[in-house]
Amino acid sequence: MREHKPTMFSLKWNEMQKILRDPILLLTIIFVGIALVIFIVWPLYSVLSQSFLNASGTFTLEYYQESLKHAENIRVLLNTIGLGLFVSFFATAIGFLFAYADAFLKIKYKKLFNIIAILPIISPPFALAMSFIMLFGQQGFISKVLLGIKNSNIYGFTGLATVQILTFFPIAYLVLSGLLKQIDPSLEEASRNMGASRWQTFKTVLLPLVLPGIANSFLLVFIQTAADFGNPMVIGGNFNTMAAQVYLQAMGNYDIKGGTALATVLLTLSILMFVLQKYWVGNKSYVTLTGKPSRVRELINDKFSLITIGIPCFLISAFILVLYGLIPLGSFVNLWGIDYTFTTRHYIYIWDIGIKPIIDTTILSLISMPITGILGMVVAYLIVRKKFLGRGLIEFTSLLSLAIPGTVIGMGYVLAYNEPPLMLTGTGTIIVLSFIFRSMPVGIRAGVASLQQIDPAIEEAAQDLGANTFQVFHSVTIPLIKSAFFSGLVYSFVRSMTAVSAVIFLVSASVNLLTVAIMSQVDVGRLGVAAAYSTVLIGIVLFVVGILTFLLSKIGVSVSEVQG
Amino acid sequence: MTKTKSVQVKDLEKIYPGQDGKQIVAVNKVSINIKPGEFITLLGPSGCGKTTILRMIAGFEIPTGGSIFIGEDNIDKLPPDKRDTAMVFQSYALFPHLDIFNNIAYGLKIKKLSKDVIKQKVSAILSLVGLEGMENRAPNQLSGGQQQRVALARALVMEPAVLLFDEPLSNLDAKLRVYMRNEIHKIQRKVGITSIYVTHDQSEAMSISDKIIVMRHGNIEQIGTPLEIYANPATAFVADFIGIANIVPAKVLARKDGITTINLLGLIWSKSSSCDVQSGDDCKIVLRPECLSLSHSGEIKAVVTSSVFMGESQDYTISVQGISLEVKEYNPCNKEVFAAGSEIFLSIDKLSIHIIK
Repeated sequence: MREHKPTMFSLKWNEMQKILRDPILLLTIIFVGIALVIFIVWPLYSVLSQSFLNASGTFTLEYYQESLKHAENIRVLLNTIGLGLFVSFFATAIGFLFAYADAFLKIKYKKLFNIIAILPIISPPFALAMSFIMLFGQQGFISKVLLGIKNSNIYGFTGLATVQILTFFPIAYLVLSGLLKQIDPSLEEASRNMGASRWQTFKTVLLPLVLPGIANSFLLVFIQTAADFGNPMVIGGNFNTMAAQVYLQAMGNYDIKGGTALATVLLTLSILMFVLQKYWVGNKSYVTLTGKPSRVRELINDKFSLITIGIPCFLISAFILVLYGLIPLGSFVNLWGIDYTFTTRHYIYIWDIGIKPIIDTTILSLISMPITGILGMVVAYLIVRKKFLGRGLIEFTSLLSLAIPGTVIGMGYVLAYNEPPLMLTGTGTIIVLSFIFRSMPVGIRAGVASLQQIDPAIEEAAQDLGANTFQVFHSVTIPLIKSAFFSGLVYSFVRSMTAVSAVIFLVSASVNLLTVAIMSQVDVGRLGVAAAYSTVLIGIVLFVVGILTFLLSKIGVSVSEVQG
Repeated sequence: MTKTKSVQVKDLEKIYPGQDGKQIVAVNKVSINIKPGEFITLLGPSGCGKTTILRMIAGFEIPTGGSIFIGEDNIDKLPPDKRDTAMVFQSYALFPHLDIFNNIAYGLKIKKLSKDVIKQKVSAILSLVGLEGMENRAPNQLSGGQQQRVALARALVMEPAVLLFDEPLSNLDAKLRVYMRNEIHKIQRKVGITSIYVTHDQSEAMSISDKIIVMRHGNIEQIGTPLEIYANPATAFVADFIGIANIVPAKVLARKDGITTINLLGLIWSKSSSCDVQSGDDCKIVLRPECLSLSHSGEIKAVVTSSVFMGESQDYTISVQGISLEVKEYNPCNKEVFAAGSEIFLSIDKLSIHIIK
């Protein structure tokens, strides 16, 4: 019947014309694409190319041979993987316990779990490591004062693993409680109705349903653990990990090439986990997002469950609260471990050496906040609503930066922007850029999730009534996803304030950041000053977030929690 | 409203790239002419391409081939926001963050009309759809039927050249659906805008349209007025899709001067028909259930296999020479009702015999 069949290409091209007829959209796509290439792809490429090219620009593997020849570096790699597996296992297990308690148990004070989940986000990423040293270190309150142990050594695997488990299990908790709450209670009722006990139902219905979620949490925690820079630096001791080693090799030993080789190995590991997480586990979920609230679950109220699940959760929560509480406490103590009298001298010291890092960090974070927020929503809109060539690439690249360890991208920024055309090293701009592209993925995910809940016909209606792409976006799309938008804003601010792994490469004499200042105080053993700095940081975060939330509630927006 | 226009669709085609290199032909070279002010309905089962045609006219889908004219103008290259069409969506697609006034005023504001003009137009359209005083409500404070009217008002207020309806009533309950389709019919007559309506509900199509286009697998099966489509379906598919039809095999005995003689259920019938069949062909006869009746005497013997009281009618299934037929007897309270298992005779209203290939 048909004279000539159109080719696959011409059909895809046909779909593409919608974009070509829309200059605003086309320009936006090009702009986003270029931004992602310059600020994510190019730095990564710089790291890779530096690791494979020698000084004269020919291909070589010598830097890999060189780095991996050292037994030390092999051990560091094995350390990273071993620690990752260990921490991911326990963090996922504890996260599951919390999620189960949250979704299934009839207990009070579940809000406490939310606080526990938020604390790691709003505090410096190595806060728990500091508290651990305060409790169990040489001058530790428990180790020295209570137990009288001299020369207690908390540095190393045990301390690091414990701290990382406590820092990262909330990730697993948030993922799993979201999943568990979405399971239709009638599935369990059906199982019980057919004669299965609660334990059998758990084993044969619930567990298989959330198994992909468990694998997902495991991989997410693994990625975070492998990328973690602050905790290994603070409490790792002789137990080195890749993320820290990259920095030490490049900045400590002035071996940039060796650093890039290690960074490439670490990057490979992280991307592998990311791809596994996104494309293998991510597609296996049985729990579908219908957006329809199912009936409320009858919560479990029997003593056995409450005691075996509820009590451990509250004990862990209480312990974590104490750990975070130690930071402000420690900032007001004269000399931790020796003299516990009240003092404000640490704050006076901070004032004396200058509050520039505090102001710089806050201002740079505030600058990057709106840019990140808007860019994140634009990318989310493109990913969910528009079909175009390269959409998959934009989605992959923008979410990839979640998985890229900070030290790798930080090094990439140093390498990529150290020469014209983009000579940014040492400026505030480079820090703002790293803030933007580090925290954007979370905004994108929030935006994607909330856009998927909105009927595309609403935007079509606006266009049908004569609105162009820009008008549709600002008069319909943004108002509809404003909650995700403002959550993205708040989150990007918080994440920028507490960032350390990438920016440690980017700070300079002219621009220093709070987290970096805290780490150097920990490094020289001034725990009191570090605690004071941390308290100021948390204070600023809470203050700004509080103001934002207040202002937003005035215009009727509730800031939903954003998953980290 | 003076600017109502014709719509011409020429060889319109839409092919989607499917999985594994397969091509999905959603719309297969369809041509339609719609006169100014006409209300036409695209009717067909889901997946027949009716919504795709509507979305191509609105500009949401880019055709693979063919072209679309509104009035004299070819609109192929125009993006949706530049097309003089207004659509009423299946899900209404009301802006949840705007109140009713601002929902309806949305397109007018984009057009940058003055505040006074907007106010005046919105209140005029609100009274047309019977929603006076609802300006400040949020969409979710309205009932389904009211939301439907807002969606209609929002499209009407644009005074478009063409109104597009994408299964607008499918989210309403049965009674409201009937009420709303009459409202839409009334309002469309009043304003006289050319309208294209998509539905899979044949009774909706019958009651509302000047013309119905029955579609199947991306092709047009038949174009005609509701009466033509019902009484003279072109194919077995149309006959079956519109109302209930018994499709009975028959044999053509002779054809001369437009009179076709057939053997149907063992009896010889002569009937004028435009169906292009030759002597000796097999053909099919469309028999509507309400054109059949049952009695104690006659020429065609039958057995009642089921008998169901429906209120306004008694619905029978009967078995005739191994063929199962549906029969509908209206007003059963005043008639003899046959129970399942009764042996009876079937009589056929000759005028209602319709021959298809």
